[in-house]
Amino acid sequence: MIETLQNLALGFSVALAPNVLFYAVLGCVVGTLVGVLPGLGPLAGISLLLPLTFGLNPTTAIVLLAGIYYGAMYGGSTTSILMRIPGEAASVMTCVDGYAMTQKGRAGPALAIAALGSFVAGTLSVVALMLLAPPLATFALRFGPPEYTALLLLGLIVLAYMSSGSMPKTLAMATLGLVLGTIGIDAMSGFLRFTHGVTELGDGIGIVPVAVGLFGLSEILLTAGKDTPPQVYKPKLHELVPTGEDVRRSAAPTLRGSLLGFLIGIIPGSAHIISSFVSYGVEKRLAKRPEEFGHGAIEGVAGPESANNAAASGAFVPMLALGVPSGPIPAVMMAALMIHGVSPGPLLMEQQPALVWGFIASMYVGNLVLLILNLPMVGLFVNLLRVPYAYLYPCIVVFCVIGVYAVNSSVVDVWIMIVTGAVGYFLRKLDFDMAPVVLGLILSPMLELSLRQSLAMSAGRYDIFLQRPIAAIMLAIVVVLLALSVWPALKGGGDWRTRVGLDEKPG
Amino acid sequence: MLRTLSALALLGLVAAPAAAQTYPDRPITFVAPFPPGGVADQVGRPLGSAMEKLLKQPIVLRNQPGAGGAVGMAAVAQSRPDGYTLLVALSSISIIPEADKLFARQPAYTMDQLAPIALISADPTVMVVKADSPWKTVKDFVEDAKKRPGQIAYASSGVYGTLHVAMEMFAVAADIKLRHVPFSGGGPAVTALLGNNVQALASGPGPVLAQIKAGTLRPLAGWGDKRIPALPDVPTFKELGYKDVEFYIWAGLFAPKATPAPAINALREAAKKAVDDPEFKTTMGNLGSPISYLDAPEFQKFWDTDAARLAVAVKKIGKVE
Repeated sequence: MIETLQNLALGFSVALAPNVLFYAVLGCVVGTLVGVLPGLGPLAGISLLLPLTFGLNPTTAIVLLAGIYYGAMYGGSTTSILMRIPGEAASVMTCVDGYAMTQKGRAGPALAIAALGSFVAGTLSVVALMLLAPPLATFALRFGPPEYTALLLLGLIVLAYMSSGSMPKTLAMATLGLVLGTIGIDAMSGFLRFTHGVTELGDGIGIVPVAVGLFGLSEILLTAGKDTPPQVYKPKLHELVPTGEDVRRSAAPTLRGSLLGFLIGIIPGSAHIISSFVSYGVEKRLAKRPEEFGHGAIEGVAGPESANNAAASGAFVPMLALGVPSGPIPAVMMAALMIHGVSPGPLLMEQQPALVWGFIASMYVGNLVLLILNLPMVGLFVNLLRVPYAYLYPCIVVFCVIGVYAVNSSVVDVWIMIVTGAVGYFLRKLDFDMAPVVLGLILSPMLELSLRQSLAMSAGRYDIFLQRPIAAIMLAIVVVLLALSVWPALKGGGDWRTRVGLDEKPG
Repeated sequence: MLRTLSALALLGLVAAPAAAQTYPDRPITFVAPFPPGGVADQVGRPLGSAMEKLLKQPIVLRNQPGAGGAVGMAAVAQSRPDGYTLLVALSSISIIPEADKLFARQPAYTMDQLAPIALISADPTVMVVKADSPWKTVKDFVEDAKKRPGQIAYASSGVYGTLHVAMEMFAVAADIKLRHVPFSGGGPAVTALLGNNVQALASGPGPVLAQIKAGTLRPLAGWGDKRIPALPDVPTFKELGYKDVEFYIWAGLFAPKATPAPAINALREAAKKAVDDPEFKTTMGNLGSPISYLDAPEFQKFWDTDAARLAVAVKKIGKVE
């Protein structure tokens, strides 16, 4: 413990040095801007800006990149809440209740709670990172394909809680997402599936273009199709601040989201994307008034936003403790370190204490900077809504196209966004919800890959899932959850949906 | 938009003297057909900044990932052959068309659409196992694998990816059967080995050197013609008697085939000087990836030999059931 404090003191002496502090703030600002641009998420952001760090020393480089990373995580919520455009896959859930709050004139509290939740989650998970990194990292590495499969099955269960509409419609949309996820190269045999000669489809359909299309473009089309243009919203100052009740209702979801996000975040791979979905499902299940979800429940903003920021810090655990490129973002950051001659490995913490602890301390600093940066900006961002729709929406469409194109320099991605925008428009006219499509699309390729990897590991024997304790425990949880939701139907008969809070919405 | 901004920033920094009508008279684009942070990116960016000093024009690197690199490679192969769009490709450039042949599908590009300019690096892959595994040598490994065919699992960067082909090349030569578990990239493959989810891995030296030095992974043999400088005690498969087992993750610069000779020559000249640039040397040293420069004619020869070797390996793997 004392050693940790000494290390932390060393870290702060590095992180508070004027030049390092400057790059931490710069990273947060740039990251926020990147996150606010629709389609450009943290990965695209740090990838595009990676070359700028080549001239810096390793510590400032990694501090700058980390700032961009969690800055983008913060920024991603802004467009989700104000315009229903997910800045990245993890903020899809924020679109649902965040935007519903905006429509009720409560954009200010939504943004403020998102920023506060992110701050709490970010800070808590850095504390956890600092105290628990080495043992947790060893545990996280035990997450192989079988454990991943079990985790993703848990994600599939969450699908059922995604929507406030009718169960058959939710499942139909989830299936659509799962089916879309089968497009692309078959990872085990190299076969191309449903690509119809389009090379770009070889990697499957990108999540970001689909999310931006289904949520953002469809919303713009729906608004444009209204008989009377929606009234331009004029916020009053007192409406920007969350009420006492908002804060009370957000406290528990924020803490649960932080824990959940951190745990999912440390697992190597891309599972961190699902942390916000899982958090949303959990909050809806635990809520006293689940019927409010989808219509502006503040818990639906606080939980997922905290979860995705905690997952962001959690992802650094295996990288710092073991030098493992545990996900796409740590991999880019490790590449940045290698270019500077620091090769991350299990001895990174011993050999480069100033770098590692400077980085950890800069995460505290960064979270604070982001809070200071974002809270006053709430007023500014909300005022964007004063711009009449006739001017605002064409600009948003332009930014969507630029953002989606920039990620892979791919025109095909832009087309995917446009087509899914149109499809989303019709589906939403028919009262289908879009979140299950996105979660299905995220889960399907990951689940398929990990299931088939597991079976490759075991030469086709399914008992591999029972022999590995972590996987077996998680599968048991899946079974219990399934049983719990089916039980009322078996016992009571009648319309079981009313009992699990998934009834057709009234009216 | 960000890219445009950074390009503008570069323009300002380089302050090119007005080189009228001669190549190059405007910024050059390097396409890396993989995501940022990969080998193509790590080699391409410092190479670009060394070459732009010599060509007096900014060089912008664009990542255009997709379909194991096929998207970006095809984009350059079909781009305007004017010397302003170049490709930083890896060994997989020779594997993808072979895999396309295997499935009898329309190839995204063919190798004769591209002209080599310079080979920059060629790192032999190295076979690693966990340090606590029972195998101390390749001999131990092969003997054990013969006793239980199809039981030892190895990770790869993806089916028909470089790491898959390298390992199968060895397995065929040693007459053993291994179990293949593909992952989505080299990083996840290393993670899987460290987490004991697979037992072996062929990897570029860069990503595993730190783990080897820390004693978590044990190298058994290298795929090179010579030993890897950073691992002088690790034998090559050739030394161990596996004659045709040779595999490199190499990185080279390519232009579309019909690029005019003056542009190609200017680029060859610039690449030749760039590999002696001290800053470039330091960066490549940092990456654990020594420079193995070859000029266009020798690179073409190297490429032909390498592609032929890989074609044989891919055919031997055949279609994965």
